[in-house]
Amino acid sequence: MGTVEWPLVLFTVLGETSIGILLALWWLDRTPLDAGLYRKATLTSGALLGLALVASLFHLGHPEAAYRALTHLGSSWLSREILFFVLAALAWVYLFLQISRPNGQRRVAAGIAGLLGLFGIVSSAMIYVLPRVPAWNSAQTPLFFLLTTGLLGALSLLFLGWKSLSPAQMAGLMYWSLGCVLSSLFSYILYFSQLTGMSPEGLATAQILTTSPLFWLRVITNWGAPLILLLPLFKRKRSFNPNLLLTLLVVSGIGEFLGRALFYLSAVGIHISALK
Amino acid sequence: MSKQLGFLHSSEKCVGCRGCEMACKNEYQTDAAPRWRQVFQLHEERYSLPTRMFFSIACNHCANPQCLKVCPVGAYTKRDDGIVVHNRDRCIGCRLCTMACPYDRPQFNHAKGKVEKCNLCYQRLDQGEKPACVAACIPGALELVEITAELDQKLGVLKTLPGLPTPALTNPSIRFIGPKQGKQIRRD
Repeated sequence: MGTVEWPLVLFTVLGETSIGILLALWWLDRTPLDAGLYRKATLTSGALLGLALVASLFHLGHPEAAYRALTHLGSSWLSREILFFVLAALAWVYLFLQISRPNGQRRVAAGIAGLLGLFGIVSSAMIYVLPRVPAWNSAQTPLFFLLTTGLLGALSLLFLGWKSLSPAQMAGLMYWSLGCVLSSLFSYILYFSQLTGMSPEGLATAQILTTSPLFWLRVITNWGAPLILLLPLFKRKRSFNPNLLLTLLVVSGIGEFLGRALFYLSAVGIHISALK
Repeated sequence: MSKQLGFLHSSEKCVGCRGCEMACKNEYQTDAAPRWRQVFQLHEERYSLPTRMFFSIACNHCANPQCLKVCPVGAYTKRDDGIVVHNRDRCIGCRLCTMACPYDRPQFNHAKGKVEKCNLCYQRLDQGEKPACVAACIPGALELVEITAELDQKLGVLKTLPGLPTPALTNPSIRFIGPKQGKQIRRD
């Protein structure tokens, strides 16, 4: 709060992308899906999940004691987050074993891993739903985390599968990505209007956001550029340009990283306002 | 929980000497940066008196402690006497409690990688002594009290002061006595 918190930015965005890929795989696997793509996407998801978990340790004052974070499941969302992410990592190992077999239950495994990861992401978001922080204390916090999952997961799979996905599958991912970008934009406008009318702390958050160059860079990379870049894809569904897909993924990724960094940086908590 | 201990601070008596802060630091030999107890001065324009007024805040041992709720390692416990005790040996330095407390009382010690806060000198209380800050307060502005409905009904006892977060967030176990009208005349 009040600082960028890079380990948490990396953990949340990379973790959400990883889980998003698994969920997108599970969703697309209703129709035949190329085994090579499945393998590539699973490995990418695993690498991102591993990086995310390692990054999360750098936030702790004592990372060697991180295992203790599982001991207060009764009331702590942080405990639940760690539990679900660890379970998702174990489920990812199961998925990896399944895709290595000819007749493995890969869709079931991807579904289990994705669902556990989804619980982890919701728990992640609930950590920040704190009465002390008006900018975080709403249903929009979990919504933002879920939209990041949906957008980066779909765009990653779109890029990884541009050769092997069918036009219908590509179109499905594009519509899903567009839906995430539009939902993110409109929910952020709503969030912003609530911030300014909420409390002195909410207003302070809004002021930090609007005066930060990072926020305006986010407006371009998270909403403006993806909307512009998605349009040509809808026009030319049968000839996808991998460079365009990569640009879309990178720009949206930058936007999501900036958005998450601003999430931590701009939050103003209710505090003692007397003179120190 | 059989009772709720807390602090009663009289701004009428407090002279802002910060003796309570120093007594706390002496008792626990804490590092320079974390301030388990801290003296604040109220903004003159936020109180309807042209006075210089102070209040002293440590952990408020809240009835609804957010720190205890969010801690992933169970480092916080609430004793039968209402004291919220932080066990530094269990703390892993995730800092979530520092985000959750509206009084900024659990504070992260960067040198030690752990959070610290006032434990209301429970070891002194168990031996029948007063907390270090209360014992050191020269004008007797800081008292250890049991927070009861009777205390809250007493004339002049306030649950909050201007510049403090709303008590509805955590139900803090601190009460205040504000300055009397017209008694203090010094301006900043």
